[in-house]
Amino acid sequence: MEDVTIKIKGMMCGHCEKLIREAAVAVKGVSKAKADFKKGEVKVSFDTSATDLETIKKAIAATGYQVLEEPQACPVPQPAKEAAAIPPEEGAKGGELRKITLSISGMSCASCAQNIERALNKLSGVRKASVNFSLERAAVEYDPTQVNPKTIEKTIADLGYGVVKRDITLKIGGMHCASCAINVEKALLKTEGIASANVSFPLEQAKITYDPEHVSISDIKKAVGDVGYTASEKLEKGDADREQRAREAEIKRQRTNFIIALLLAVPISLGDMGRNLGWTFVPEILKNDNLLFILATIVMLFPGRQFFEGTYRGLKHGVTDMNLLIATGTGAAYIISVAGTFFNLGEAYKHTYYDTAALLIMFIVLGRYLEALTKGKTSEAIRKLMGLQAKTARIIVDGAEKEIPVENVKVGDIVVVRPGEKIPVDGKVVEGLTAVDESMITGESMPVEKTVSSEVIGATINKTGMIKFTATKVGADTALAQIIQLVENAQTQKAPIQKLADIVAGHFILAVHALALLTFFFWFFVGFEYFNVPITYGMGAESPFLFSLLISITVLIISCPCAVGLATPTAIMVGTGKGAENGILIKGGEALERAQKLDTIVFDKTGTLTKGEPALTDVIAIRGTENEVLRLAAVAEKGSEHPLGEAILKGALVRGIEVPDAQEFKAIPGRGVEVKYGGKRILIGTRKLMIENGIDITQVNSKMEKLEHEGKTAMLVSSDNELAGIVAVADTLKENSKEAVHELRKMGYTVAMITGDNRRTADAIGKQLDIETILAEVLPEDKASEVKKLQAEGRKVAMVGDGINDAPALMQSDVGIAIGSGTDVAIESAQIVLIRNDVKDVAKAISLSKLTLNKIKQNLFWAFFYNSVGIPIAMGILYPFTSPPYLINPALAAAAMAASSVTVTMNTLLMKRIKLKG
Amino acid sequence: MEKKLGFYSTLASLVTSLLIVLLFYTLAMQKVQENMMYTTVDVYGGMVFVFILSMIVSASIWPGVIEKRMTKR
Repeated sequence: MEDVTIKIKGMMCGHCEKLIREAAVAVKGVSKAKADFKKGEVKVSFDTSATDLETIKKAIAATGYQVLEEPQACPVPQPAKEAAAIPPEEGAKGGELRKITLSISGMSCASCAQNIERALNKLSGVRKASVNFSLERAAVEYDPTQVNPKTIEKTIADLGYGVVKRDITLKIGGMHCASCAINVEKALLKTEGIASANVSFPLEQAKITYDPEHVSISDIKKAVGDVGYTASEKLEKGDADREQRAREAEIKRQRTNFIIALLLAVPISLGDMGRNLGWTFVPEILKNDNLLFILATIVMLFPGRQFFEGTYRGLKHGVTDMNLLIATGTGAAYIISVAGTFFNLGEAYKHTYYDTAALLIMFIVLGRYLEALTKGKTSEAIRKLMGLQAKTARIIVDGAEKEIPVENVKVGDIVVVRPGEKIPVDGKVVEGLTAVDESMITGESMPVEKTVSSEVIGATINKTGMIKFTATKVGADTALAQIIQLVENAQTQKAPIQKLADIVAGHFILAVHALALLTFFFWFFVGFEYFNVPITYGMGAESPFLFSLLISITVLIISCPCAVGLATPTAIMVGTGKGAENGILIKGGEALERAQKLDTIVFDKTGTLTKGEPALTDVIAIRGTENEVLRLAAVAEKGSEHPLGEAILKGALVRGIEVPDAQEFKAIPGRGVEVKYGGKRILIGTRKLMIENGIDITQVNSKMEKLEHEGKTAMLVSSDNELAGIVAVADTLKENSKEAVHELRKMGYTVAMITGDNRRTADAIGKQLDIETILAEVLPEDKASEVKKLQAEGRKVAMVGDGINDAPALMQSDVGIAIGSGTDVAIESAQIVLIRNDVKDVAKAISLSKLTLNKIKQNLFWAFFYNSVGIPIAMGILYPFTSPPYLINPALAAAAMAASSVTVTMNTLLMKRIKLKG
Repeated sequence: MEKKLGFYSTLASLVTSLLIVLLFYTLAMQKVQENMMYTTVDVYGGMVFVFILSMIVSASIWPGVIEKRMTKR
């Protein structure tokens, strides 16, 4: 036996400890393993004849943590060659030294500090570096023209240590389209100290990873503020209510704006068009230029002000968004009308375009109103989850019940919950019996029975009896808090498919303005004369400037970056939200995309397809009745702690058989058990045990073989050296396993099963489930390589397991699906977590992924289709080919633009109605 | 650096826009002389609109270009 300590990097919590411990113990020959995340190490005792250190390290490394090289020693510093290639800080002046302080993780002794110090001092451009081991800080003085903080961080990371970074989610205000989200993202990524930033326009959130030593939260807020948006910290408590209020206020604001615009646009349009088209039913007063000017000015000043304010804020900070498109379009129509009203610009300028400006504003405000209404619905799921939280809890203090706010409940408190009340936090029942409605967390519609030692989940509803339970997880550790966190993270994360949308949205405003300029030039210099517009188009087309201007405005107005920007995030929000409602947690867009490409589903057998514990399956009587045989077997096994013995005893008790105590219990290793009962000698065990005791087993051999072929463990029972019968136990299938496998096969997937069991047992289970590909006799540490082999064949593999023992395989697979996690939803190794222990949810999760990705594709298609068809038509591409020549009216363009983003959001919301297969 | 970048960008955008406006003016005045439908009001109106659009486009392009050049140096 040998004891070693292996240094591990990346352990953050007890869950990491558990994962590493289990990975180490799973290696054959390892007798003991103890991980300590605080020290960043695992102590392993192993048999050198059965395994070696490298194998253990490999098994640990497969869990995703980094095994640092020399055990008990600090990593050897190596100068970072690649790091030196990183350019120095932009705009830095030569000779001007800067200082930074970095928080370092992973140092285990003073020599680690020296290693880092030495490596940093070797970096060209670093004047002085000192590392304090006890404070876990590095202070570096450097020349920014030669080296930048990123190079310094990389050097530290190359040595095997970490530079501590923090995550924060900020609420971003003032975003109106996908371009705004990109503007904020760009501004954040430009800020020194921010490692990554993901901004979601529909969620109005930014998820930022930053280095607290480089940048403070107020600096981050300032960076957002500098480009014209607002950033505020997300408060956990009451956040749902606050968000709801803010959303309602925005809906109310846009509704008021729309009503004002509508009430004014009607008379303006009647007046302006009535005068231009000579409508006699329109009262003369409405045709008055001065009145039209006043009414249109009100529209521009009130409902339309938001676009000009937004444009001003953006331009002030050098960013452009869709406000600019609208402001340029409506502003141009308004100004030319004002000029026409108050100045004598000639015959062609007697037409005014107040109606165009007013209708544009009205339709765009209507679009914003509808968008605010529908956008709120896409994040309904997360709001529902937030709303599930109980506000108060009743705990026992000095023997009396006391009601306290739920945030004040501490781990270990005894919580009392009466029928009909909400369970406030996660815990373990210590008294009482009840049924709990867990549908809001797990999606399970039937109430679940809870008795002493059962786990209860916070936010579920106690239905029938009063219970007392010990709080085990409170605050951010509860299942509900973790689910909310996970879903929020998933919704902020971008799917790879969104990259294209981001590129388009990032350059959209610029491209549209460039197109509008080109269009103006073309119609002014070429089109107007070439197509003889005053004759072919007629009314209102006497001036080449006005004609070209109106077409140019239409191009600006019809373009809609919103639809492109909303296509992916809204679908991910609804998809992940719908998943959460059904107990399916999908960790972001990448998992959704990968799930779409799957062709092979590999199930771990034990605990996933089967119950994971043996149960009595068969009793065959040779002498006496079946119950008598079972009774003898149970009597013999009563003193046994072997799982097979426990299964027999449980089977007997279930059948109502009384099992008295036996005497002289003797376990015979590898053979079975011998006891004395009622003066008789009872044996239960293998063929060998019977043969060694001179018992003839020839008559039962064929029956034994049959049972064994079915994957069952058959045991012979004898009484006073006379064969009494056979009992068989097996790991039984879960209720829905067969149906789940069938459903997946029907969906066209190749289903495989992976197990450490022997080939015969594995084949038997595979046969019952109709699984053709059976990977048997696979050691836990080899499961990942089996998945790798399948991937090498060109398959896209999903691995379904319990998320703990199968962690390496889950990580190796294209999509890792952890099943039956219950309250432990933060399983790192899986991209999809199924809360319920129901295999049928695998098909549901895959269906949901497909559905969401299809929705994203549909949305993107419609958004791109709309813009790529709408913009050329607005540019007048149909003019030469239609008679009378066709041009889109600017007001119609505004209506189409408003409709496009609403259509995309509505299309996404249709997902909510679809029932998941499986 | 930011101040310099802002100054150069604004200057480059202004120059670009003025050049485009000048091009527009030259071509438009030619049109005025050739075709009666074109008036000087059209030219001046067009110049304002072209200037606004050119400024928006060039102010979006120049900062990136100048930033890259400044970084290279």
